[in-house]
Amino acid sequence: MTSLLDALPSTARAWVLSVAPDDRIALLGAFSGAARNVGKDPCAVPERGTWGADELARAALLVRGAASVSPEELYDRGDNRERQAVLRALPLLEAPERFLPLAVEACRTNVLTIFEAIACENPYPQRHFPEPNWNQMVLKVAFNGLALARIVGLAARSNDELARMASDFAAERRAAGRPVPADLGSVMKGETT
Amino acid sequence: MKLFDPHIHMTSRTTDDYEAMAKAGIRAIIEPAFWLGQPRTKVGTFEDYFQALVGWERFRASQFGITHFCTIGLNPKEANNPNVAPGVLELMPHYLGKDGVVAVGEIGFDDQTPAEEKYFAAQLELANKFDLPVLVHTPHRDKKRGTERSLALVKEQRFPEERVVIDHNNEETLPLVLATGCWAGHSIYPNTKMDEPRMAALVKKYGTTRMIVNSAADWGVSDPLKVPKTAQAMKDVGVSDADIETIVWNNPIAFFGQTGRIAAADLGEAAKIDQAQLFEGNSVLRGQTPVRT
Ligand SMILES: [Zn+2]
Repeated sequence: MTSLLDALPSTARAWVLSVAPDDRIALLGAFSGAARNVGKDPCAVPERGTWGADELARAALLVRGAASVSPEELYDRGDNRERQAVLRALPLLEAPERFLPLAVEACRTNVLTIFEAIACENPYPQRHFPEPNWNQMVLKVAFNGLALARIVGLAARSNDELARMASDFAAERRAAGRPVPADLGSVMKGETT
Repeated sequence: MKLFDPHIHMTSRTTDDYEAMAKAGIRAIIEPAFWLGQPRTKVGTFEDYFQALVGWERFRASQFGITHFCTIGLNPKEANNPNVAPGVLELMPHYLGKDGVVAVGEIGFDDQTPAEEKYFAAQLELANKFDLPVLVHTPHRDKKRGTERSLALVKEQRFPEERVVIDHNNEETLPLVLATGCWAGHSIYPNTKMDEPRMAALVKKYGTTRMIVNSAADWGVSDPLKVPKTAQAMKDVGVSDADIETIVWNNPIAFFGQTGRIAAADLGEAAKIDQAQLFEGNSVLRGQTPVRT
């Protein structure tokens, strides 16, 4: 939480702190209107990649106001950037395992930026996803041409079934005369380091 | 020349349309919430529709370098359905504060019933509360009367006229609208409403002030390239490039951006097309070679 606020420019930080965390209506309004208050400039978040200032402010609002608003309701009624912020905030919430259905559902999105918010630079899947969901997510990252290195804990959660799925995917690509993602090799071998 | 189509229902259109629009110079669009060609029976389907407008459709447009804004509202046709109308009105505040929602609309009259008038007025109030302009649809039947009633209601409610665009005008309704402080939208259709030469003639006659042009393309017979085609038609009859730019770019931004919901940064957001990262899977590019600019 401290790190989220630290990553924000000072005026944006002050704006987030001005929203009372127990005022549900104010929180909902601030969550939607964040971009008009703090902009969308890219901000580096330590070990979590680069977020827009609006995503950062929204994630901080959710973490601070988690007793008044739920990630599920913010996600269900959110636009793309609001949804991204909710997913990025999940590992920072208390008892995050409660939000597994939301995180798994988010992986089914067609909006690539939303998928990236849960699958890339996010420790949530490594910590909480059951193996079948983890494997599907990793394959979808490869399938969408995203760098596998962006997945947190890829080597630590390698497994035989994932290696098989990756090999089949590579074979399908070769049969179609299409390029195989260069970083798929380590997953196919099931390498753990 | 950069073009803005401030009224087009992209959920009904294909990726071929997006590609052609981008190629023709369309950089930004507004998708008004309207009806879907067949009546809805549940409030929940409205919510999923609003979700698509602020979610999937916005992303789909961005993949073609087009910035997608939308309006949220209860359309006049479905204002007549008591099973959905009150519920939709309750839903709207959850969406009117969102990024990229630039107006309340389409509201207005269709059959000109008391229910339509009630929800028209209620939505003017919502627009006031959320500091948004409104997009007013005018009826196909009894159009002149419907336009007069819309203008009268705006006055009666003391809603600021400079925050109202009355849409789908023709030769008969345009002078009525321009006599007020409201803006005038024109939907250029293949067969009905208004065509390119008639539009060019109206611009020559009335000038560019508060004049807006759109395609209103949807699931019916319509053409998503009507804005570029109208720009060409205006050029053909000697309208200056500066005046054309006023109508197809500056005016929609001035109107829909007047309460701060369209930022210059938003207009640049989707400008760089990089489909390479989206080359397969569930993106709209199912395995084709990506386009890079
Ligand atoms: Zn329409």
